Amino acid sequence: MEKRNLRYARHYSLKGFGLEAQQKLQNASVLVIGAGGLGCSSLQYLAAAGIGQIGIVDGDTVAISNLQRQILFETSDIGKRKATTAAKKLQNLNPEIIIAAFDQQINTGNAFALISDYDVVLDCTDNFASRYLINDACVLLKKPIVFGAVFQFEGQVAVFNSSKNSANYRNLFPIPPDATEVQDCNEVGVLGVLPGIIGTLQAVETIKLIAGLEGVLSNRLLTLNLLTYETFIVELDAEINAQTEVPINQAAFQLMDYEWLCGNGKSGIINLGVAEFLQQIGQRDTEIVDVRETGEMPKATFKNQNIPFSEFKENLPEIEASHIVLFCQSGKRSLRAAKMLQQKYRSTKEISHLSGGMTALNEYQNG
Amino acid sequence: MKIFAFGQIAEITGKSLEIDAADTDQLHQFLMASFKELTDRKFAIAVNKKIISKNVALHQTDEIALMPPYSGG
Repeated sequence: MEKRNLRYARHYSLKGFGLEAQQKLQNASVLVIGAGGLGCSSLQYLAAAGIGQIGIVDGDTVAISNLQRQILFETSDIGKRKATTAAKKLQNLNPEIIIAAFDQQINTGNAFALISDYDVVLDCTDNFASRYLINDACVLLKKPIVFGAVFQFEGQVAVFNSSKNSANYRNLFPIPPDATEVQDCNEVGVLGVLPGIIGTLQAVETIKLIAGLEGVLSNRLLTLNLLTYETFIVELDAEINAQTEVPINQAAFQLMDYEWLCGNGKSGIINLGVAEFLQQIGQRDTEIVDVRETGEMPKATFKNQNIPFSEFKENLPEIEASHIVLFCQSGKRSLRAAKMLQQKYRSTKEISHLSGGMTALNEYQNG
Repeated sequence: MKIFAFGQIAEITGKSLEIDAADTDQLHQFLMASFKELTDRKFAIAVNKKIISKNVALHQTDEIALMPPYSGG
């Protein structure tokens, strides 16, 4: 008689699922990239469902503004590493599965090593550079991607690259948007429960894909609107935008600059790392400008001038210093502000911004 | 024909609009001329719930969707 585990009793008794599908979950390995809003909800259902091996990739630490939607974390976790913290919670939920935490940001150097050990990849990231990077690595490694993304009250879900002839993200969006084209969650906000629902749908698609159930969102993109409850499913295929620019092999992939591809650094604006940024503080003829809205936390502990980004849109500020160093929460608004200032001052001033924003700074200081 | 816009495209064009165009290229030109903020915006076009990449002839009853990429997570 086959071994039954009471933990999965409701899967065994589920018609069309049963012992066989449960065994497939047990034998499967899934890599969740991004332990934010999408990752926190998908991970809980994947662990509870008994996926045999789960990997979690995230280089970030928990911030108080994450707690509104990243439901694996609690107030006492602020400042802790997301991947490790999530792994601990999930291991309590299901001690019978293997969970690995990778406290690092996905990049061209580590992507192949991380992804090749797993059967399915969940894209739960929050930026285009990572999304195109994950897409390309998975196309080259022939791994399916369960994709999720959110904007305000709407979310997208799709399964890419699940078979030889299936579409990937580049068939849908061949040209990456510019970083300045799309506002981030810090700026436009997101209903906290939205990534919870979209992440849960990613878990559904992952389970369907592994268990061999029907209706996987392969070659289809689902859009869900939480205000109207309207769903909109469009079809796509690998013939659309077939001349996509996925690098031809691993060596070409590792030479790709995805930050540049997605418009972060095309302009001559200097991207400062945290250490470089800290060196600018107190320098002669240098103005450090916080472009966050008044009251955004955490407050900077160093001397700076606050010019909220909303004021930039109305009327560009006059800044006397010839070195202007901008920062915001995540590095997106500061980059947009830098581009606006660059148009105004051309090459008469040196304009730089803190890449990764206050979030990166805090991580560096607490890390 | 009915055009539905999603995400940040809807913030520029409104959620739905009525435009008559002979094909998707003409529709695209009309949108760019009518909404300056759409310049350089990336979005996929679906005709009757199928994503298209080449120019497609349009009919009065067609339903068109303008779908931008979302980055949030």
